[in-house]
Amino acid sequence: MTAPIESRPLMVLHLTTSSTQEIGATPQGTLSIFPIIGGSFEGDRLRGKVLAGGGDWVTTRADGTMTLDLKVTLETNDGGFIHMTFTGVRDDANRYVRTLPRFETAAPQYAFLNRLLAVGVGEIRPEGPVHIIEEIL
Amino acid sequence: MGTADDRFKEHEMNTRLLMMMHVAVGGLSNIGAVPHGTRRTAPLGGGTFEGPRLRGSILRGGSVDWQLLRSDGVLEMDLRCTLQTDDGALIAMSSFGLRHGPADVIAAIGRGEVVDPSTYYFRTTPRFETAHASYSFLNRLVAVATGDRRPDGPIYTVHEVL
Repeated sequence: MTAPIESRPLMVLHLTTSSTQEIGATPQGTLSIFPIIGGSFEGDRLRGKVLAGGGDWVTTRADGTMTLDLKVTLETNDGGFIHMTFTGVRDDANRYVRTLPRFETAAPQYAFLNRLLAVGVGEIRPEGPVHIIEEIL
Repeated sequence: MGTADDRFKEHEMNTRLLMMMHVAVGGLSNIGAVPHGTRRTAPLGGGTFEGPRLRGSILRGGSVDWQLLRSDGVLEMDLRCTLQTDDGALIAMSSFGLRHGPADVIAAIGRGEVVDPSTYYFRTTPRFETAHASYSFLNRLVAVATGDRRPDGPIYTVHEVL
């Protein structure tokens, strides 16, 4: 008998992007860079803003699905900095945007982030991507 | 249909079982203290996987768990392995994971004892690549797994994130 995977909410992440940089067809696929110029995140244990200067490197593959590769810096409302990355899959044909976020921080109050794995459910909205991120318990 | 924020409040992350993986460990190579922590590599001695949609064996060659014990006591695992299904497809699997827990529990695992997996954190995030049409759904999903480190090797319960 297998136990289900348990999770609990970590944050909702709203991202603001500027115009896409279309790198075009490379040997690995079609690369589009989505510069991230801001945003916000909020959860029970952390909240704050997304700093400008991140991005999501999105590669459209031969099967039409996209791989995501994001790096951003989060600044919490109490001044902590969190380096966040995720890889993921975006399959528009199946409305599937799922990511695997990871966190790195030196702020002691957020050290728990260094020790967890997470899953994000994404949604591409007109105002920018939104990711619902849950901690894997 | 709620908004993303409404769904967050409902706390839903849906998964379904993809497979159970039984991995046999081979010998550990202790690389030692490196700039990021203590590194060791654990070649897999093979294994099996079985689920509703795929089953087969884990190939030995090229299947290795690259491990880094960090200064905060967390073990980072970077597993690369090749799965061979019972109908002959090859699937490349890569999986980043974390393992940590109370010092006595981790020490007991190190001594090769059987430990209740609920007493420590052992989670991984598998991704798959295959050229075989029957398994192309694996190219388009992310997965999460819970681990149970048995003396003869880990058992992973791998779930597809829906």
